[in-house]
Amino acid sequence: MVVVLTERMKAWVKTGCHLNVANKSGESFVAIARTVRSVSDDEAVFALTKDEYSVIKSALSENPWVAFGVSGVGGIRACYQFKGKGTVTQEGDTYLLKVKISELYCTKPGCYAGLRLDVKPTKECEDWEHGLWKDLPKA
Amino acid sequence: MVKLTAEMKEGLKVPGKGGSLVYLCTSSLDGKPNIAAMRYVDSYKDDKILISDMFLLKTKANLKENSQCAIAVCHPLNAGRDWVFKGKAIDIEYGFPPDFDWYGVNAKEILDGWGDWHSKEPPDEVPPDVVYSKAAQRGVVVLHVEEAYSIEKGKVGDKIF
Repeated sequence: MVVVLTERMKAWVKTGCHLNVANKSGESFVAIARTVRSVSDDEAVFALTKDEYSVIKSALSENPWVAFGVSGVGGIRACYQFKGKGTVTQEGDTYLLKVKISELYCTKPGCYAGLRLDVKPTKECEDWEHGLWKDLPKA
Repeated sequence: MVKLTAEMKEGLKVPGKGGSLVYLCTSSLDGKPNIAAMRYVDSYKDDKILISDMFLLKTKANLKENSQCAIAVCHPLNAGRDWVFKGKAIDIEYGFPPDFDWYGVNAKEILDGWGDWHSKEPPDEVPPDVVYSKAAQRGVVVLHVEEAYSIEKGKVGDKIF
């Protein structure tokens, strides 16, 4: 399936995210990506400091899957989970984690919890979201 | 030896009411991670964290095949309360034998105390377009904390215990 994030999703991801990376044995390592370099239709690029990257480096080297959720203030309104495979490049002291998003879920508590959104056609996904929320995070 | 501090216990109160942002992080046995924000959170004794099993799907499936779990806490408005707790977790669901014991946790005590979290701490602060329409708690996830590290800016990765 082709993932196309909505404008609302992109706006929330830009506020910062919690990253969960697991090694091949299924042990989780969590870091906060406070700086988001860019977000496109199906990709997010997180700019990590050395210590932020060091937390997930080992697990990421053996398993590229990354799951992330929004951590910006007011993120309770960002009921999404994003999953994809990540690759890292270095730019000076910054480590750029690029996640190619391949799975997208709703995490709104209730009947929509766990609903997979990337399997919906783009327009249907947008309409579904607009039926619930139209607001954007405060700048 | 693991011992949650008073500040940690305070930070592990129900989020939202000026409290923390809490993420429950699990993985399938073959390493596919999952992350979901949690509203009902508490500490128990000195080395356990409780989270309600309400609308858990992948998390529940993951815990049934892989008990390794991490709980990330951060406090956007109160720097210094940024931790990741790791250990083994179990979902104590309704139907467990009352005398079921896991790392010193008794199923009946947990379900009696936190099995109806909605009534105990109604989600009044959750926006109406986000809150669930009907509570459907099926159990309580218990994390037996074995280690913790900081995710506070400038201290990320520092081992706490």
